[in-house]
Amino acid sequence: MEYFLHILVMVCLYAILASSFNLLIGFAGLFALSHAAFYALGAYATAIVATDLGLPFPLPLLVAVAFAAAMSVLIALPALRVSGHYLVVVSLAFQIIVLEVILNWSALTGGTDGISGVPKLAFFGWALDSPGRFLIAAAIGAAACLWVCWRLAHSPFGRALRAMRENEAAAEAVGKNILYMKVTVFAFSAGLAAVAGALFARYFSYVGAQSFTIDETIYILAMVILGGTGNLRGAVLGAAILVALPEALKFVELPVDIADKLRLVVYGAILIVILRFRPQGLLPEPQGTRAMSLSAAQLHGTGGAAEGDGALFAGSGGAAGQVVLEGRALRKTFGGITAISDFSIALQRGRITGLIGPNGAGKTTAFNLLTGFLQPDSGEIVLRGTTIGRRRPDTLVAAGVARSFQDLRLFTRMTVIENVLVALPRQAGDRILDVFFRPGRVRAEERANIARAMAILRFVELDGQAQESAENLSYAEEKLLVVARLLATGAEVLLFDEPLSGLDDTTLREIFPVIRRLAENGKAVCIIEHNLDVIKELCDTVCFLDEGRAMATGTPQALMDDPDLAQRYFK
Amino acid sequence: MDLLFQLLVTGVINGSHYALLGIGFGLIFATTRIVHFAYGPIFTFAAYIGWLVAGGMGLPVWLGLLAAIAGAVILGVGSYLLIYRPLEVRNAPVLVPLIASLGLYIVLENLVGILFGSGVRVVEDLDYGIHFVGPAFFTSIHVWQVASLLLVGGALAAFLRWTRYGKAILAMTDDPEMARVIGIDTVRVTLLVFAIGSAVAAVPAVLILLKDGASTHMGFAAVFMAFVAVIVGGVGSLKGAAAGGFLLGLVQSLGLWQIPTEWQNSIAFVLLFAMIMLRPEGLFGVRWR
Amino acid sequence: MIRTTRAWLAAGILAMGATVTTAGSALAQDAPKDPEVYKIGAILAMSGKADWYGKVMSQAVQQAVDEINAKGGVDGIKLEAVIEDHKSGVAKEGVAAMNRLINLNGVEAVLTSFSPPTLAIAPIADEKGILLLNGGGVSTALIGASKYLFHNRSLASDLGQAAAKRAKELGLKKMAQLAWKTDAGDSVIATVKPYWEGTGGEVVATEFMEVGAPNIDTQVAKIRASKPDWVGLWLFSPDPGLALKKIREFGMDVPVIGIEYNADIQKVGGKYTDGYQYTSDYFAPTEPWSEQFATDYETRYGEAPEFYAANYYEGVYVIAEAIRRARAKGGDYWDGAKLAAAIRDDPAFDSVYGGKMTFQDNGVAKKKVALFEVKDGKSSFLNYISLD
Repeated sequence: MEYFLHILVMVCLYAILASSFNLLIGFAGLFALSHAAFYALGAYATAIVATDLGLPFPLPLLVAVAFAAAMSVLIALPALRVSGHYLVVVSLAFQIIVLEVILNWSALTGGTDGISGVPKLAFFGWALDSPGRFLIAAAIGAAACLWVCWRLAHSPFGRALRAMRENEAAAEAVGKNILYMKVTVFAFSAGLAAVAGALFARYFSYVGAQSFTIDETIYILAMVILGGTGNLRGAVLGAAILVALPEALKFVELPVDIADKLRLVVYGAILIVILRFRPQGLLPEPQGTRAMSLSAAQLHGTGGAAEGDGALFAGSGGAAGQVVLEGRALRKTFGGITAISDFSIALQRGRITGLIGPNGAGKTTAFNLLTGFLQPDSGEIVLRGTTIGRRRPDTLVAAGVARSFQDLRLFTRMTVIENVLVALPRQAGDRILDVFFRPGRVRAEERANIARAMAILRFVELDGQAQESAENLSYAEEKLLVVARLLATGAEVLLFDEPLSGLDDTTLREIFPVIRRLAENGKAVCIIEHNLDVIKELCDTVCFLDEGRAMATGTPQALMDDPDLAQRYFK
Repeated sequence: MDLLFQLLVTGVINGSHYALLGIGFGLIFATTRIVHFAYGPIFTFAAYIGWLVAGGMGLPVWLGLLAAIAGAVILGVGSYLLIYRPLEVRNAPVLVPLIASLGLYIVLENLVGILFGSGVRVVEDLDYGIHFVGPAFFTSIHVWQVASLLLVGGALAAFLRWTRYGKAILAMTDDPEMARVIGIDTVRVTLLVFAIGSAVAAVPAVLILLKDGASTHMGFAAVFMAFVAVIVGGVGSLKGAAAGGFLLGLVQSLGLWQIPTEWQNSIAFVLLFAMIMLRPEGLFGVRWR
Repeated sequence: MIRTTRAWLAAGILAMGATVTTAGSALAQDAPKDPEVYKIGAILAMSGKADWYGKVMSQAVQQAVDEINAKGGVDGIKLEAVIEDHKSGVAKEGVAAMNRLINLNGVEAVLTSFSPPTLAIAPIADEKGILLLNGGGVSTALIGASKYLFHNRSLASDLGQAAAKRAKELGLKKMAQLAWKTDAGDSVIATVKPYWEGTGGEVVATEFMEVGAPNIDTQVAKIRASKPDWVGLWLFSPDPGLALKKIREFGMDVPVIGIEYNADIQKVGGKYTDGYQYTSDYFAPTEPWSEQFATDYETRYGEAPEFYAANYYEGVYVIAEAIRRARAKGGDYWDGAKLAAAIRDDPAFDSVYGGKMTFQDNGVAKKKVALFEVKDGKSSFLNYISLD
């Protein structure tokens, strides 16, 4: 039955579109509603190259993918500076502009008539000119695209994407290059949509702007949400349902004049009802081992070989007491309000420095300046004797400066071990080309990384919860995971923003040794803390910050004995 | 120059229309964070109810407006109670109400077609004045479009500032969690917001019915422009939504002074693009929360 | 089972009858292989922005089918219409509908509308040998899209050229045009602009609007500023009404000439349609058949037919006649390619517009183009316009 084969072809096309869109909104959390525009670019590029230029397969396909990906990068660079609702609107704008250009650039695109007579695919004289024959090409295309999506989603790169979706700043703080990731996933998503576009052009032998309107983007979006965001099987299921449902409704006999409108009413109602009972989509997002390229067995297999602390702190050698990171006379103002007026600090290897001060003193701003999240207006930051200019947080992490956040910012919808894994430095699997062209290396490295992550978890005694979702941890465990994640970055300078606040005394006693051991193993540690008892017990040096100025630096005892500072602190 | 002046007048009129839509949509969006796409077909429904009363039954236009407002309020409140509220209770991810809203959009839009039939509906034999000021032309309905913005916008601003419920709405716009903590019945406030937002939509809907006629698919442009106006103006600001709408109307009109009309949509969106790049928080948004 | 047996029996008897009656001449032919029923597809805008078209077209198709069946069908075999939806011009919906029609319903002839879905189903028609008859889509790109595609409607570009010719007769010089940003609007502009400039006219403004755009104040402001002698409206129902209303409200009193007029346009335009001239395939219920059609349509649906209804009504009759002619040749005649051949062999068909229409080699039926003028909400025939 060619009709059913036709439906299967459409399912293949939409499976590609929904999965590639899922990469963007489900995995990366980027709400760019311009998928149909890239679908259109792929279809038109194929039609133009194959029809007007007459080039043979696979050139039109390659041109289509390359063109759509290139366009997406062009649009991504400015558009991805904004997020949330703004990205929605910017991408909608792009969608509308693309369609209008297609409609008006008649010489190239055929304008409102579109392009008809796109040559059918043919191999060795065997033309794919019926739905049944074309289904072979569509199925191969869909399988290839799904494989690419699967590979990407389950790689360390995919894990980093999910971390970015959970919290962009935290992903940056563990050394991920956000811009690179966003642009890459955007280009992949667009390129895959272009494959669907190329299939569209070949299958229908006709492309017209009507097929690629905002409605189409919304249709694909509905497939992703219905199937379940962040689940590739869900996207395929969503595509199958939303393609088949309207066709199935055609078999319901209704009065001719309102039949098709009534069917749409039923279609909309079914969509609402499904969401009512499965608000998370039909299939949930996989977590833990199911979201990774390695199996559970491999994960446990690597747990055996216990490593000493030495392996954890490799590369942090050097003389204790040596200054690693120094901030000199830093200054930062926000629109006339001076947050930091004169701040200097020197963090030494093997020492724990406490940063204290009353609320609003500018402690977190100081951290932001030291870690590249904010750029100082004046003053300089010196790392191991070299002045560092304007650098992004992720490059600073690579250079050896990492920080945590007061509000933790864990990657909550990921497992404990994934939270650590994602923070490990210099992963080949973070580079998209390696994911696809050096899979062996990525796998081997991943195995080593899992062992390393387990070692880190043992260090903070969270190894028992490795497969637990981070959102199920207790508050104290969350704090420990923050430490583990920061440690995983391999950075030499670790800045903790209130790592101990809100913990009871017993828990504090458990965490103290963990932080101390960091310093003992050659890290330069800096913590923001309010509890003076903690400071007294833990810190070697204390820097007192108030009104944006470093008022004093010295041993905890010396500072606490200063009545002037005490008054400032308790005012 | 004559053309430019006319385009300016047209821009102000269209801007008022977008601004009013933006205010209604923005109120719902800012308070509940629901991207209420079904706002579009509710706008359409309101216009058709207005037509039924004023055109079909031949009753006075003001009765049609009242009926339209009543219909819109019922649909708006109903969509919250039947669709969004259950999702809220089940703690659905943010995107789910959006897709549910799209489902509702499809249902309502096709229901309009089924209930009222296809084709354009106009209120026939309507008499209204046509005015010329210098080279610029406008009709009394155009005047009403601008006046309705001033009236509705002003009334809404006063309501939000000076009444207990208005303040509750503002509190919820700022921080829904905090609003709940300080004892505001957020469900009741949300219902109120859906009622007001939908009622606001009925006003431009009836004016469009009088001016150009109602068609079953006019809801899309309405909700889309409202959304854009809100984003351009800055989420959570009534003033911003109005300003965003005006800017959109003016740019769409003035932009066509030299550029051919087939690029009408692109002009608005290129501006929007630039706008968001330069000032992502919108005209009246807050940069640091 | 019983039903099929009975049908075969009936077919056999009919075939025998046919053989007997045409005995002398048809001895050499095979007996016609009759289907149980002739299923005709119609892919129309049943939902979406332009659902009005779907409504009138499907009504007319249904009426024609019922009429033919009431008279005993085609040589005793009943017709059945299967209405499908392309959601107001979405190509892939058209293709899905076409596949359903061929596979699930076994149609051999399809009435189609709108250019994008028609262009997308044309390759399938070629592949499967399905007769396509288009009475609505008017883009020039449709010509020759499939060897089995025929049009019983004049192309919009012809109507537009006729409108421009009328403006020429009136001695007008400066034209402003307002067109739909669709294939139809674009194809009128592509024809009219060179024609108008070729005859020494000047195009002072070319503005576009979206289908069913709620607001065209800006476009009309630009047209007024260009100070034209006349305005050409390359729009379709109901937008000419809106355009007329705006043009007059803006204080312009130049002649406005368009290519469509119907009850909806009148409703939207109201009093401002007065003096509107338009060119059209001539449809006025004056001939007996036209009158009959118009009266029946009005009784059935409570509204007067306009020419989209007339075209699709006529389309069903064209297909029925083609079936009759193909069947007379006998053999496996229930086949789109054979039906198309029957049309090509003898391209003259009765037209509901009166007299005969003839399908030209490019598949387009040659119909008379006439000029009308609207007065007090009623249109009246002025004269025919020859395009040669």
